[in-house]
Amino acid sequence: MIDKLDTENVIDLTIKKLQELGFEDYILHTEKSNKSQIRFADNQITIVKNWASMDLGVFAVKNQKTVAVELQDLTSETILSSIDSLDKLVSSLPPNQNYMGISDGPFSYPSIDELSDPDLIDFHEKALDKVAASINAAQEEGAKRSAGVLYWDATKVQLISSRGARAEAHSTKYEYTIRSFVDATSSGAEIDVGRLSSRIDLEKAGRKAGKIAKMSVGGVSGSPGKYNIILAPKVAGDIVAATPVAANPFSVEIGFSWLKDKIGEQIAPEFVSVYDDALLPNGLGSKSFDDEGHPTGRNVLVENGILKGFIHNTSTAKKAGTVSTGNAGLVFPQNTNIFFEPGDYSFEELMEMSKDKPTIYLTNNWYTRFTSYADGIFSTIPRDGMFLIENGEISKPVRELRISDTMFNIFGNIKALGKDLKQIKSWEVSIPTFIPAVLLEDINITAATS
Amino acid sequence: MNAEPIDLVEKAIEKGDKLGAQYIEARLVDLKSNTSILKSGVPELGAIMRSKGIGIRVLKDGGVGFASFNEMTKEEMNIAVTFATKMAEASGSRRTNKIAFSEEEVHKATYQAIGHSGKRPLQISPEEKINRLINLDKIAAEVKTDAIVPFRFFQMLDQTEKKLILTNEGARIESETDLLQLFGLIVAVNPNTGSKEQLMIQKGKAGGYESLDFWKIEEFIEKEVTTLGKIVTEAKEAPKGVIDYVVGPNVIGIMCHENQGHPSEGDRILGREGAQAGESYLKQDMIGEKIGSEKVTIIDDPTLVGSYGYYLYDDEGIKAGPRHLLKDGIFQDMLHNRESAAFMQTKSTAAARAIGYNREPIPRMANTYLSPGDFELDEMIEDVKLGVLMHNFSEWNIDDRRYQSKYVGLEAYLIENGEVKHMVRRPVFETTTPKLWGSVDAVAKRSLLEFDAATCGKGDPMQGAPVYHGGSFMRIRNVEVR
Repeated sequence: MIDKLDTENVIDLTIKKLQELGFEDYILHTEKSNKSQIRFADNQITIVKNWASMDLGVFAVKNQKTVAVELQDLTSETILSSIDSLDKLVSSLPPNQNYMGISDGPFSYPSIDELSDPDLIDFHEKALDKVAASINAAQEEGAKRSAGVLYWDATKVQLISSRGARAEAHSTKYEYTIRSFVDATSSGAEIDVGRLSSRIDLEKAGRKAGKIAKMSVGGVSGSPGKYNIILAPKVAGDIVAATPVAANPFSVEIGFSWLKDKIGEQIAPEFVSVYDDALLPNGLGSKSFDDEGHPTGRNVLVENGILKGFIHNTSTAKKAGTVSTGNAGLVFPQNTNIFFEPGDYSFEELMEMSKDKPTIYLTNNWYTRFTSYADGIFSTIPRDGMFLIENGEISKPVRELRISDTMFNIFGNIKALGKDLKQIKSWEVSIPTFIPAVLLEDINITAATS
Repeated sequence: MNAEPIDLVEKAIEKGDKLGAQYIEARLVDLKSNTSILKSGVPELGAIMRSKGIGIRVLKDGGVGFASFNEMTKEEMNIAVTFATKMAEASGSRRTNKIAFSEEEVHKATYQAIGHSGKRPLQISPEEKINRLINLDKIAAEVKTDAIVPFRFFQMLDQTEKKLILTNEGARIESETDLLQLFGLIVAVNPNTGSKEQLMIQKGKAGGYESLDFWKIEEFIEKEVTTLGKIVTEAKEAPKGVIDYVVGPNVIGIMCHENQGHPSEGDRILGREGAQAGESYLKQDMIGEKIGSEKVTIIDDPTLVGSYGYYLYDDEGIKAGPRHLLKDGIFQDMLHNRESAAFMQTKSTAAARAIGYNREPIPRMANTYLSPGDFELDEMIEDVKLGVLMHNFSEWNIDDRRYQSKYVGLEAYLIENGEVKHMVRRPVFETTTPKLWGSVDAVAKRSLLEFDAATCGKGDPMQGAPVYHGGSFMRIRNVEVR
């Protein structure tokens, strides 16, 4: 008979075993979650899912050798045998010269508003109705069919470290995407994400997706060349936010970032300031402690267009001669929420500002890939409604184009920022990002030759 | 497998029957995996992952519900089956066109795809694994080249997965699979110009650590890093205008995967992935239509022994076999699970794969390749006036209908008047799928057939599926390059 362990038993058993085996430092992370999802296509529900899960993560150190275990099989037998395996693993590894300790506690943690909502725990019936309303709204705007997904969860996380960190957090969240079609090539998409059921407005998202789909009917193939581009927040959250996300020492060290040796340089116009902000109310990446149990905060990445610094855990910070920013992940620093200071312009004003140059408005994109991360050379494909802007107004839908440029040009050629921030987390944008619409200048657009 | 989880799987089927499920499947997955991460020669982490859970999927009243759990108690099982059934009913009652599963032959089978004796993931000592990885980094760092190689990242991941699938139709499939994967990112820099070039490495295979010898991994790393150094120091501008391309296994593989594999997925064609991975330029009524030249036959075959996408029965218990996505240029087979097959009033093509106990089985590729022809490589090149020989690629992407794709060459050479000349830098191939397959006029012989491993992304939540893709060499005529 297998024993059923609760979280406290799991933690006690694991710590006892780690101490018995002489691990000098350790961090335990438990997560008990209940997650649900509704998916739909062709205006109808395709599947409803639920995941109940209890997980344990352990990061442990012996003789400066760093090891970890992730368990989704929490019997005492598995826990004990896994820690034994960890001990064998640690004895076989050479020391990790990049490891310089974990954060020393105990700590007090910041409080963050709007992280959890009990109404999201038993939400299935309401969720089905809200999805139906969203699909209907898209149809009312002219969409023939819509596909999408609503995801929501309630999670409890506990963290204990050998350095005195003890932390616990309850959180809920939802993520919604709807993509509406009038025909095979005329589509629009919208998202709605957050942590509180009172903020959910799937109907509005459906209406927007349907409207863009309808507007994109009759699109013609666009011409390659240099354009000004207005990016909806969904697209900006991918390719504009990519640069502050690249301000990560681990990415720099493995050649995955174009920001090596760029701290202190002007990489954007003066009106651009970006933060990694773990404390934003309703932020999907908001949390009061990182994976070392270090308190989180608000860290400037780009200030007045100058790259000010990277996010750090204890080890990367010591190596760089600075202090942890509270962005520890188990192996490398991780962003919380990326936050762009908004600009002053409405969407109409952004269009007006670009009326003297050929301009394209992108509502969505996907499949961003790099020829060279270290140089920031990439391309990405516009998806859904894409429109030519002429005389400061949307004139006609266009199709079949690709942005092929560098991340330095994207970030350096920001001409203006919109005033309305939207929280983005989507298929392409994995790090929650608060960003407005962005006007870029002189961006290279290519197209298939036949 | 421990007795109790198996008991829970059996009890779940009984419970589903009691609740009136038209169809219920219970899938127990016991996964043991290990990984090592090396950054420029420094072991950043050694990690052990263990998971065991059960996924339940129910079809009732024309709707589908799914639930998974990893606390192995009867209570959790009851909650999961009840939820999946209730949600199938609730969503089915709202559907106007009811979901059905195609009628299929029911199988009971057991199979294995495991490493050689003494070479299985749990049989190799952690020390041996990390030393082999450290040696690979050393080879990469010490390659004789005019470039410098400052960025090196390696990750090796092994796993043993035991899986049991039961359905209330009587299917019982038990399998045990070992997989080995090596991932690498290496960047070479020209010390004079600062120009950089990146090499992404992904090797994967069903089996154990004998795979490293099969890949001749040390030789492979040395050769690839040497070539990377040459690219960044010697390659010249790629030609433009209307030219021919001769592309190798690595490029053919990604083209087969992206331009033909994905658009052949039944669920995409039906719009079920519309909000995520997208739809398809192919439609059901295009079966039988000519898409490519008669030289183009693209097969997806899960049963290739030792392949990274290997399976004999899919995650709905259907017996797998080769699917001809294009046969002599004609669109023939789709990748179906039972749901997409039923909507199209056909049979499953055993493409249902679920990556983990907590994922639903959806149509996926396994091992996709261009069927070899009978050309020698020299024969294909000697007939090219101006072109590019592209061995592998760096950047690529494709729109979500899988119609317009872009591939950027990594190791590539100029072909001029039938001869291979100097290296060229980042040649771009940006064209449509029908233009691509319609312009192939020669395919090289079987002895040049090779496969690469990849992790195919699809689904929501994401399901990264291990796949192979490959080919020999093919010639593509008259491509306009701007």
